[in-house]
Amino acid sequence: MGLGMGFALQRGRLCFAASFRDLFVNGRGELLRAVLLGLIVATTAFAALMARMVPDPSTGELAPKIHVWPLGANVLIGGLLFGVGMVLAGGCISGTLWRIGEGYLGSLVALGGILLGLEGAALSWNWWWENSMSKAPLIWLPHSLGHMGAWISVMAVLAVLYLLTYWWEARRAGPEVRFPGQPQPPLVTFQDRLRALWNRLFVQAWPASAAAVALSLLNVTAFAFDHPLGVTGELSAWSSRTFGLLGLYPGHLEGLDQFAGCNLVDAPPGLLTNTFMLDVGLVFGAFAASVMASEFKIRVPRQPVRYLQSAMGGTLMGYGSGIALGCTIGAFFSAIPSLGLNGWLFGLGLLGGAFVGSQIIRRLA
Amino acid sequence: MKLDVRGEICPYPMMRTVDALGKLPPNEELEVLTDHAPALATIPWEASKRGYAVDVEKVRSGEWKLTLRKAQSPLDPMAVVQEISQKTNIGG
Repeated sequence: MGLGMGFALQRGRLCFAASFRDLFVNGRGELLRAVLLGLIVATTAFAALMARMVPDPSTGELAPKIHVWPLGANVLIGGLLFGVGMVLAGGCISGTLWRIGEGYLGSLVALGGILLGLEGAALSWNWWWENSMSKAPLIWLPHSLGHMGAWISVMAVLAVLYLLTYWWEARRAGPEVRFPGQPQPPLVTFQDRLRALWNRLFVQAWPASAAAVALSLLNVTAFAFDHPLGVTGELSAWSSRTFGLLGLYPGHLEGLDQFAGCNLVDAPPGLLTNTFMLDVGLVFGAFAASVMASEFKIRVPRQPVRYLQSAMGGTLMGYGSGIALGCTIGAFFSAIPSLGLNGWLFGLGLLGGAFVGSQIIRRLA
Repeated sequence: MKLDVRGEICPYPMMRTVDALGKLPPNEELEVLTDHAPALATIPWEASKRGYAVDVEKVRSGEWKLTLRKAQSPLDPMAVVQEISQKTNIGG
């Protein structure tokens, strides 16, 4: 699963950070549209699966393991911090993982920051739980709108946002440029056709929208078997283990057993869990993809300020995803299809954070 | 003029190229060296908006050289990127 994720993300260069940041840096909405398309696919499949799990949502029952949690201020603030962090570090948490696979040393620094931030979040989690999350309302749309109503509403909003990106682009970005495929040599034999397929899959870059759809199909598969995708919970276990060695074990975290999501982990489970395989697989999937396309290279940032930027961005992302129960995957890409409102609140935070982050990086050029 | 943006990731390769174009003496070329694949899409796009034609050459695994030259006549960004995507593998 992780291998597939890493492969798809690297091939499509699907970067959640860029999808929000480009709106403010150069006014383009192409990547955000890819993300929205992925959400449309995942929301439809999630809605169908959840309708089978909970035939009558009006009873107040919640589908198991979906990424729905209370609408606390922690979700919005976490999204804001995450948004600033991902723009500073040049990639969100999954983006950092797949860039490590491509050979970016700066992303390793960002990963260190993420672990540090997650530890900070774990240490302050009980405060956030006490003052925000335990008091906030939990809204799962099917409770009030039914499965069909919830699905239609979310689809309508996603469609409007999709169109809004075109409007934004027309206003901000200037002429739209398309990337048509390469002119193909004539395919005569069976071997020619196989080679063309191989090139399309492994050598040429994928359109970002194809990667987004591949990612959401993986997400749906993961949910059908057990739980939606998320990469941060595992990193939090690493963080807790690392800092535990230094005697900075965060202690018991309140309330987390009530929700599924990329929760902070207070009692590290065994090392080789399936989430461990997911994160490590993501790095190796991206590595394999970049080697096959001969794009792998050890890349070293030359300006010292970039290391600082990666470390600070990583720390902000780690803290933000810690208090908001997930990153762009767990708290956004898995949460919106779960039909809760928390995914939207986090997304709003990401948008605001990306705006602030874009202003900061302009000054660090 | 030469600009080495290896090691930089988005959006810096594009932003620094745009800066360098602003300082480029007339009738000179700008050579940009990058190891960030997404920049192969962002740089030509910004360059063509500013009237520069772009040539892309793969130097080695994961490294590309872009040559930017002022075009005689106003450019159609669409045609420019089309041409580049034929030479490299960044087409979609």
